[in-house]
Amino acid sequence: MLEKVYDVFARKDRGDQLVHIGYVDAMDDETAKVHAWTTYDEERWFEMCVVERTAIVPVNRDDGPFAKAQRAADHG
Amino acid sequence: MAEVLDVSALDADGRKALERLILSLADSKRLMGIRYSDWLLGAPSIETGIATSSMAQDEWGHARLVYAMLKELDIDPVAVEHDRAPQEYASIGALDEEMPDWAALVAAMVLVDGALTTALASFAEGTLESARGRVPKMLAEEEFHASLGAAWYRRLARSEGDARRLLVAATEAMLPDVLAWLGADDAPARAMVEAGVIGPADDLLADFRARVRDIVALADIDVDAATAADAWDEARGRTPGHPDEHAVERVRGDKNRALFVE
Repeated sequence: MLEKVYDVFARKDRGDQLVHIGYVDAMDDETAKVHAWTTYDEERWFEMCVVERTAIVPVNRDDGPFAKAQRAADHG
Repeated sequence: MAEVLDVSALDADGRKALERLILSLADSKRLMGIRYSDWLLGAPSIETGIATSSMAQDEWGHARLVYAMLKELDIDPVAVEHDRAPQEYASIGALDEEMPDWAALVAAMVLVDGALTTALASFAEGTLESARGRVPKMLAEEEFHASLGAAWYRRLARSEGDARRLLVAATEAMLPDVLAWLGADDAPARAMVEAGVIGPADDLLADFRARVRDIVALADIDVDAATAADAWDEARGRTPGHPDEHAVERVRGDKNRALFVE
């Protein structure tokens, strides 16, 4: 499968913190939206968004999943 | 906004035409849900399986809401949902058989679910008050179905080998039924157009073609050149045939009701 990892963020109510609630594998942004909405449907989220993992820039660790994703992307 | 239809003022033919339209939409939604549910465990990824499960639930919820519109005609929706034989179902012919492969389900997502959404969008803008109130939420949920269908269609159409071949075959097999259903222009269909309940067949077909044209073109299929099936069952508003017995047993919930303890 030529799928990418997308991290899923959501807030339950207006004014709540946007929190990382999980991730999904998906072909593209559109499918990622569907997968996120149907997979993490245990709450009535006020707002949900997805970010392709390689777009997240790690700040202080180079051994976490975001850094690994960046390295994998850099090495094609 | 068009005025509201007074259902009690419809004559016998008008009532029959409205019953046919409601049944056609609701049965198709119910069968679409069954076809999605067949792939809960066979989808290409866990996420896709979950999405398929969610879409099945959406379709069953939509069907329940549309069946309930029969009450306006003094028809008991519970009996309609649970007591009919397969030969009485008014669902789109393309849903009669189980989808043999994932490519066929993807084609159904785009074509059959797409045709249903096209019809419902028009229904929501018509004169039936309950449709105006209930259908917009369905259309919002359908946006996710359309996104998933289009993404998978693109992927399979651009692949080589079996996946693309199966997608093309399924698309070509489904289009005649779908075009006949959406383009129904017989007396009951025209009665509903005249009553303002739904738009004319030509408008529905134009909307549907605009919706799927670029997607199916990826499989080298020209939706403008595709033709509707000739054979037609006016009583049910669909092409001849019926869903398989096993699917209808599940649609009716026979097994669930056998477990009921009064």
